[in-house]
Amino acid sequence: MGYVPVKGGTEAIEASIKRLKYERLKGQEIIAINTIRSTMRGMVDQVMSESSLYSPYLAALSIKQAEGSMEEAVFLMRAHRSTLPRNYYSQTVEAETMLVERRISASFKDIPGGQLLGPTYDYTHRLLDFNLIEENPTENQQWLQNYKQELQHIEPFKELKYFPKVVEHLREEGLFEVYEADNTPPIDITKQNLDFPTSRSARLQVLTRGQTGAVTSLGYASLRGYGQVHPTVGEVRVGSVPIYVEHPNEVEHGAEDEFYIGEIKVTEVESFVPVKVKNENNEDELEFEIGYGICYGQNETKAIAMSILDQCLEHTNSDFPTHDEEFVLLHIDSVESTGFISHLKLPHYVTFQSKLDSIRQVKKGVQKNES
Amino acid sequence: MKRRRRTEILIQGDCSLARSFAKTIVDSYECREIVAPQYGLTMIKMRESAKNSLFYIGEVLVTEAKVEIEKRIGIGIVVGMQDELAKHLAIIDAAYKANLPETAGWKAELIEEEHNIIKQRAKEQAELFETKVRFETMEV
Repeated sequence: MGYVPVKGGTEAIEASIKRLKYERLKGQEIIAINTIRSTMRGMVDQVMSESSLYSPYLAALSIKQAEGSMEEAVFLMRAHRSTLPRNYYSQTVEAETMLVERRISASFKDIPGGQLLGPTYDYTHRLLDFNLIEENPTENQQWLQNYKQELQHIEPFKELKYFPKVVEHLREEGLFEVYEADNTPPIDITKQNLDFPTSRSARLQVLTRGQTGAVTSLGYASLRGYGQVHPTVGEVRVGSVPIYVEHPNEVEHGAEDEFYIGEIKVTEVESFVPVKVKNENNEDELEFEIGYGICYGQNETKAIAMSILDQCLEHTNSDFPTHDEEFVLLHIDSVESTGFISHLKLPHYVTFQSKLDSIRQVKKGVQKNES
Repeated sequence: MKRRRRTEILIQGDCSLARSFAKTIVDSYECREIVAPQYGLTMIKMRESAKNSLFYIGEVLVTEAKVEIEKRIGIGIVVGMQDELAKHLAIIDAAYKANLPETAGWKAELIEEEHNIIKQRAKEQAELFETKVRFETMEV
């Protein structure tokens, strides 16, 4: 059988795009970008993290355009990112410079600086709040005013507090290995294809921009037995870190001559994982290692799951899928996975006809043999 | 005042300060726009605390502008889409590079704004400490 090339569909596609716009507009409601930014923090943070582009404003715009579809919003952001020049690389951001708004530990109740809950859903009742149906600006304004008044008596601290890492005092006790600063320039997976085995920097970059659901699922799979990591969360911290860049042309570079350009909000997690190591007498000994997770915005589940996967991939083991870096790293990217899955719905007429032909041929052969 | 400290103050503080400094310069000197405020990316390099190594967390959208004053080029870079602030920062940067006399008079205002920023942030942090857990050991 011969194949017949066809073309067409242009008018249908144009009509379909119009229909899409109609679906967005037919309710005759307009959501402002600032409304999305102010009221949908979780979505905005997730889109920024998965698209690997920190811009709450553009993330809100992408959510509006995509009508709330996360995969579409991330795709839009990634596409937009590819149109922009990258003019600078930041100086190294050290997480100790974070201005913390939330910081907790599941390993110790008494941590230096204390446990700061900050804003969290952790202790809320998961019951629908029907009062929100009739929410109105005057009441909200009143609530905000009352809240500010409640806080009015609080004296400002004399100076800003920066928190030490929980792990630091454990390192001082010798319970965790102390690593010298490794300043090897990181791999940039947006410029270089992933080669296996990967470097640690490439792994962390893929994990931090992974799809929240995929990273969480694989982290969960590891806990359930499809991996060998079951950590205790040493520290979760959420807050803002400052970003500095060097002057592009000045010959003499000093820290004092850098540009401060602003700050970004991140969630950072250190998970403590017990591992067996051989001591000098070749006996098994327990030691702790750290799984590291971080992502844009406040997304603690993703950052914790990332810390599990980081630790899994530090100890590759072909017996467990979550310890296989090809399995993990090649399947968690939102644009790659949703793109590949959704391409299946696009016309595959020729390939499918070819498969049908093969089956018909096989069936004819079988019938001949039977007769 | 060095660039790091003054950009911290001008970006974290009230943007009217950068506007008024820039206006003082534009009113008295010829200011040539080299690059109008434009959007671009900065890749963020981080140090992770497990193995103490470096990696890229992702990019941040920035606005960048460049101006020339008295043959010195000033750069303004700021996170987000902030055309006006980027241009003001570039003008102020050029003014410092050209060592214009006006810059000497800005120090006091910058230091005052720095105090305001720290005070405001310290107040916000103190308010957040309302969510600090005070554990009580229970009698069993």
